[in-house]
Amino acid sequence: MTSKKIISSILIVAILGIYIVYKMYNKPHVDVADTKSDIIATASQIMTDFTSDENKANTKYLEKIIEVSGVIIDTNIEKEKGIVTLKTDDDFGSVLCHLSETATQKIETLEQGQTITIKGICTGYLMDVILVKSEIIN
Amino acid sequence: MKTIYTILIYILLTNVTTAQERYLTKNGSVTFFSSTPIEDIKADNNQVLSIIDASSGKMAISILMKSFMFKKALMQEHFNENYVESDKYPKATFKGEIIKFEGVSDVKSTAQVKGILTIHGVSKETTIDANFVRTNEAIDVVGDFIVNLADFGIKIPAVVAKNIQENIKVNFNLTHKPFKK
Repeated sequence: MTSKKIISSILIVAILGIYIVYKMYNKPHVDVADTKSDIIATASQIMTDFTSDENKANTKYLEKIIEVSGVIIDTNIEKEKGIVTLKTDDDFGSVLCHLSETATQKIETLEQGQTITIKGICTGYLMDVILVKSEIIN
Repeated sequence: MKTIYTILIYILLTNVTTAQERYLTKNGSVTFFSSTPIEDIKADNNQVLSIIDASSGKMAISILMKSFMFKKALMQEHFNENYVESDKYPKATFKGEIIKFEGVSDVKSTAQVKGILTIHGVSKETTIDANFVRTNEAIDVVGDFIVNLADFGIKIPAVVAKNIQENIKVNFNLTHKPFKK
């Protein structure tokens, strides 16, 4: 009786363990649309943060979900993925929002000069601040 | 200080526009692939910045490590946190020169690019073969090269050593457009 109990409890633990490992291995990516934004800012604010101290800005923004608002200066589609460029106060840099597949379908409705709010994951700063997996908020 | 900076950039830019010889892409693609019997790992980065100065044949590429997108979130996490340590080293860069750039034309041809590749904070001189096509509207650069993880101080724990290749094949596809402000 006791040995049976031991065996069954070991089995339960093992199955649970396998299940957890499997779940972890197949852990889904962050769903940007359904996750609360970590930081809400304007395109110019973000750019100023990156140009004044990139390291500090990296710690603040990288891998965070950022809700950014700004004026559209360009929209285009590269390899079936939409890219929205937002104006900043900086002369050269902008905020480049690479859209998700669902958001790309809405890119036709966007116009240059329009103010927009976009939510995405910040991956860093090259010439521009880059957001990936972006969703259009409004 | 800011005005000096602005003036400097302005001078730089006017130089570029008058000469009209700088080509750039902000959404170049770099992908890598590792295949072992245990698992295949693939990651894409479509936010690569690459600049070619057509007058000198110089080339500069910047890559954000966190822009590499994996199929599995866990792989992406391990890549960033354990292997390339992208908090410490957020970018990979390549700075170099296209050898015999004047030979590049609108017919596809192979040219060598020689320069310094920096990944994970380690710089290494590298020569890469790439296919070039140059037209008025674009300079296309396509090719691949092998990165040996140990060369760049990227350590793979023994537990998962069988899951990841030691030599990773990296593909790049960069379509540079004339830079205009």
